[in-house]
Amino acid sequence: MRQRKLEIYSVEHHAATDIKKKEGRDGKKDNDLELKRNQQKEELKKELDLDDHKLSNKELETKYGTDIIRGLSSTRAAELLAQNGPNALTPPKQTPEIIKFLKQMVGGFSILLWVGAVLCWIAFGIQYVSNPSASLDSVYLGTVLAVVVILTGIFAYYQEAKSTNIMASFCKMIPQQAVVIRDSEKKVIPAEQLVVGDIVEIKGGDQIPADIRLLSAQGCKVDNSSLTGESEPQSRSSEFTHENPLETKNITFYSTTCLEGTATGMVINTGDRTIIGRIASLASGVGNEKTPIAIEIEHFVHIVAGVAVSVGILFFIIAVCMKYHVLDAIIFLIAIIVANVPEGLLATVTVALSLTAKRMAKKNCLVKNLEAVETLGSTSIICSDKTGTLTQNRMTVAHLWFDNQIFVADTSEDNLNQGFDQSSGTWTSLSKIIALCNRAEFKPGEESVPIMKRVVVGDASETALLKFSEVILGDVMEIRKRNHKVVEIPFNSTNKFQLSIHQTEDPNDKRFLLVMKGAPERILEKCSTIMINGKEQPLDKSMAQAFHTAYMELGGLGERVLGFCHFYLPADEFPETYSFDSESMNFPTSNLCFVGLLSMIDPPRSTVPDAVTKCRSAGIKVIMVTGDHPITAKAIAKSVGIISANSETVEDIAKRCNIAVEQVNKRDAKAAVVTGMELKDMSPEQLDELLANYPEIVFARTSPQQKLIIVEGCQRQDAVVAVTGDGVNDSPALKKADIGGAMGITGSDAAKNAADMILLDDNFSSIVTGVEEGRLIFDNLKKTIAYTLTKNIAELCPFLIYIILGLPLPIGTITLLFIDLGTDIIPSIALAYEKAESDIMNRKPRHKKKDRLVNQQLAVYSYLHIGLMQALGAFLVYFTVYAQQGFRPTSLFHLRIAWDSDHLNDLEDNYGQEWTSYQRQYLEWTGYTAFFVGIMVQQIADLIIRKTRKNSIFKQGLFRNKVIWVGIASQIIVALLLSYGLGSITALNFTMLKAQYWFVAVPHAILIWVYDEMRKLFIRLYPGSWWDKNMYY
Amino acid sequence: RESFQPEPGEWKRFIYNPTSGEFLGRTAKSWGLILLFYLVFYGFLAALFTFTMWVMLQTLNDEVPKYRDQIPSPGLMVFPKPLSALEYTFSASDPSSYRGYIEDLRKFLKPYTLEEQKNLTVCPDGILSEQKGPVYVACQFPIFLLQACSGMSDPDFGYSQGSPCVLVKMNRIIGLKPEGTPRIECIPKDENVASISTYPNNGIIDLKYFPYYGKKLHVGYLQPLVAAQVIFSANSTKKEVTVECKIDGSPNLKNQDDRDKFLGRVAFKIIARA
Repeated sequence: MRQRKLEIYSVEHHAATDIKKKEGRDGKKDNDLELKRNQQKEELKKELDLDDHKLSNKELETKYGTDIIRGLSSTRAAELLAQNGPNALTPPKQTPEIIKFLKQMVGGFSILLWVGAVLCWIAFGIQYVSNPSASLDSVYLGTVLAVVVILTGIFAYYQEAKSTNIMASFCKMIPQQAVVIRDSEKKVIPAEQLVVGDIVEIKGGDQIPADIRLLSAQGCKVDNSSLTGESEPQSRSSEFTHENPLETKNITFYSTTCLEGTATGMVINTGDRTIIGRIASLASGVGNEKTPIAIEIEHFVHIVAGVAVSVGILFFIIAVCMKYHVLDAIIFLIAIIVANVPEGLLATVTVALSLTAKRMAKKNCLVKNLEAVETLGSTSIICSDKTGTLTQNRMTVAHLWFDNQIFVADTSEDNLNQGFDQSSGTWTSLSKIIALCNRAEFKPGEESVPIMKRVVVGDASETALLKFSEVILGDVMEIRKRNHKVVEIPFNSTNKFQLSIHQTEDPNDKRFLLVMKGAPERILEKCSTIMINGKEQPLDKSMAQAFHTAYMELGGLGERVLGFCHFYLPADEFPETYSFDSESMNFPTSNLCFVGLLSMIDPPRSTVPDAVTKCRSAGIKVIMVTGDHPITAKAIAKSVGIISANSETVEDIAKRCNIAVEQVNKRDAKAAVVTGMELKDMSPEQLDELLANYPEIVFARTSPQQKLIIVEGCQRQDAVVAVTGDGVNDSPALKKADIGGAMGITGSDAAKNAADMILLDDNFSSIVTGVEEGRLIFDNLKKTIAYTLTKNIAELCPFLIYIILGLPLPIGTITLLFIDLGTDIIPSIALAYEKAESDIMNRKPRHKKKDRLVNQQLAVYSYLHIGLMQALGAFLVYFTVYAQQGFRPTSLFHLRIAWDSDHLNDLEDNYGQEWTSYQRQYLEWTGYTAFFVGIMVQQIADLIIRKTRKNSIFKQGLFRNKVIWVGIASQIIVALLLSYGLGSITALNFTMLKAQYWFVAVPHAILIWVYDEMRKLFIRLYPGSWWDKNMYY
Repeated sequence: RESFQPEPGEWKRFIYNPTSGEFLGRTAKSWGLILLFYLVFYGFLAALFTFTMWVMLQTLNDEVPKYRDQIPSPGLMVFPKPLSALEYTFSASDPSSYRGYIEDLRKFLKPYTLEEQKNLTVCPDGILSEQKGPVYVACQFPIFLLQACSGMSDPDFGYSQGSPCVLVKMNRIIGLKPEGTPRIECIPKDENVASISTYPNNGIIDLKYFPYYGKKLHVGYLQPLVAAQVIFSANSTKKEVTVECKIDGSPNLKNQDDRDKFLGRVAFKIIARA
């Protein structure tokens, strides 16, 4: 008891230290904030000192100004509601929308582009001062850049808002209702409108709508697991039983559930002032780590921005040294930056991530934060809950023992195939006891629902038995009707058995049948005979021994075992008219006939073993963290493969070799089962050692708070940790984990708020599909980025050549933007649809710090190989256009000054023709269009080669990803539109390009494809070679 | 904040790592291989680019550019070319202020002297001189057609008298055949300040100078010129005028384009200082 209390306080403790840690790391000591947090902490303590449970009903009435019979008046309730606010948890503080929006405006490359835009305007300003008729080109460019930043910012903001909205809609479930007495009338109102002093009624199945002091209760049991982590139902009554408000029986807490019974109580705390509200608000203070993909993207932005700025400044200096006007040099600088920055890429990445998020949501893995999509892929340790995640979260009959033999029952989800031998007479008797000695009942009106899915009123074991017998015997309710129950004694913890007496269905048999079930040892004590093959035999020593062996065996499987016995009351002693009394027990309860044992377990979900195997081959360590008993935990871990069939724990080895645990060489054991008690005594170093040395670990009997310690331990191993959880107390661990997954069905709101993703079906295998998607998107983002970076060289070279060799400018800055934000957008998104090249679940998780999204090989191959080839191809188209119009390549060198001079209107070409300035300008735009088309054509090849990084395109299938072809079509259509559709709009600098120029770069495109196929061939032929190391990205 | 920036010591080790002999992250052998690879790879790319350029150049014709669609109509340009914009500033009393212009004009008109033209053909006036080749003859443009601006009677081209000559020429375009009777018409913006005389009379451009067959085939081709002489009115105190010249009289020579201010027209400014 004491210990549990300590744990409750430790939630607050962890959360508080985490806040401090975070602040310390930030280096900013926000004193006000800390003061506020401290106040909050104090308040929590005060709240826990709550004394309402000690007060009598009268005192409560005066304290809260209410009346236990009549309830509050509506007016008073309205007043209180206005005063204290609605009874709901305030969602975690959201960053104001405007801040979110502004963040998108300055994030990533935006700063660079803003600088470019401002430089453009400044350049124009200076030009304007010296010459009021200066051309508006730089104003246009600046405006276009600003528009680009704003548009991509709006887009990113919209994407983020959209994914937040999915979440919001998910959280807004059907509003909870509460039955409240107001103005002496029973009313059903939304739980949000409850106020302190309201008298509410609760019944089995309800969620407790607020913190409630019970005034009366009938058989009320609550599930406090989301608050304390105890999975056993707790009974609740109106008596004050404990000093600690969390232990006393007369208080129930907001967001816990009432399992059975009814109760009436007074609301003593609402909304954020409830215990749960306090914990949730503190948990939200645990710092959120930057996601791995965010770090990767930042890394990538740094690389690209670094290249852009350094090349820009280098050429700025060169340009100034070459006696260019400083203003021109600034314009070059801007152009170089624009050429280097992949304006559309971050938007593309967002879209790719949200596509994956959508795909994951379809597979029951709802990701709240887009970036978490990839985090899941880099996961190297999964700390999973047991109940509900690995298991079906319902008791199911697993084994039977009768006729001195163990039978296996089907525990799969549908459970219809009970194939054990049912011919024995013992079974007939046993099945009768199972059906009759059971208080659970099906909820009426669900006859058409499959048996396993029907709702049952009753506890977990009885439900399991009811369903089991319904499957085998048919209509149990009918059987019970035929065997009328005359008296019963329900299960209680002192008796440890349950008993009922029935009239038999056989009209000729006037005897009463006494049936009994309970703890096996207690049942055995009451028996003197045992039924074997339908015949009663004396219960001798050997039979008792057999019973114990079976009992131990089933118990060793972590199953809950029940014993069953019966007795036909002699008709002479107990005639039909005999009046049975459950109080005085005027009937025999000893010398009964033992019939059999039956064991139950919460069986693993059928998909879990496969998922665990997949994790293992994917190099992901699965750690089970459960509040359950170590034996049960270990049994489940074994059956799902978390502990593989041939691994042993230290204890197993000790048992096998018959030596003391201390003598076992710890290195021999692959698996470890650690209890919460052991964990408590471990130093962080010991925990690190445990986590590092055992590949298979099960933590049993742990409190939800210890989860946080385990998560932190895993993170110290440089692992990316995924955690599943459902309770409020899991929220700090969920927050702390690299990716926290809350249960969609059983998860509390606090857990869902703290989590990064929600497993809609509470199923472990959904995480594994998520991991697969996450890994795939990482690979595909690599491809997208490689595709996008390639053309940067082809975009950059024109400016460098223009500055150094004085060619007429091959491509304009605005034209570049049409590649980055026009033709290239859909193709780069299309790569997100690419299928995996090989089994991505067969390789190790990526190392956070070593396997980068953008590595040296990717940058070098994109920039210096394919990029350069592309640049050459594009220049070929450019030179072709000029040469066929009269300017041969050699004459273009150092022509820039004359070419760009507005006053020179009779520039002679190689054939003696003379060109006006505007005619040259128009030819230059044709050159832009040609260069643009050249890049576009080769980007088609680039897109195709990026489909794979290692396999041949033909192995991957050229047509498997249809979206790629949509991308290619979009590229061509956009280019056609720009050249022919908008050709006459001179502001865009496009002209109608002759049809044949569209094909000039095709040989280069083919070359790119052939070269890349060669690269992949050598990588496949010589893995690990110099080529592989330098050419595989 | 966590950052993956290497420590200063790591940088040093990155530049040269004595234990593995790595320089900038690569061993000497690795550097050698990588340099060799790029040498071969870039050599191949250079050869390939040269080859494709060569193939492209094979599609060209030495005599006539493959396409002439970007210059359907000629521009107008003036001579001499002032240093900045199209503004002629001079002072009749200061020969050094216009010496540059005169020298330019002389140089430009050198091919038009009678000796230089003696090998050229005398063509019939008013009709296009279309030729089939293989030898293309050029028509004479006798310099005296420019009359007062020919430099024959006045070596200072009117600059010393304060009535400067400016030559207006039409850009050469291969194969251009003007229709009608093209002429250059020059008008001052303010008739009160100055008047313009054009030579040949009416600023006529004779059709016999068309079509042009290109630098290589049409050896010795002389493009027709029109001289515009600005004569300031005696009673005007202002000696500054903007002159606009444009091609007129030919339906297929455009002189009105919103974007191209030199397509079939040209505007220049004369400032005569005291």
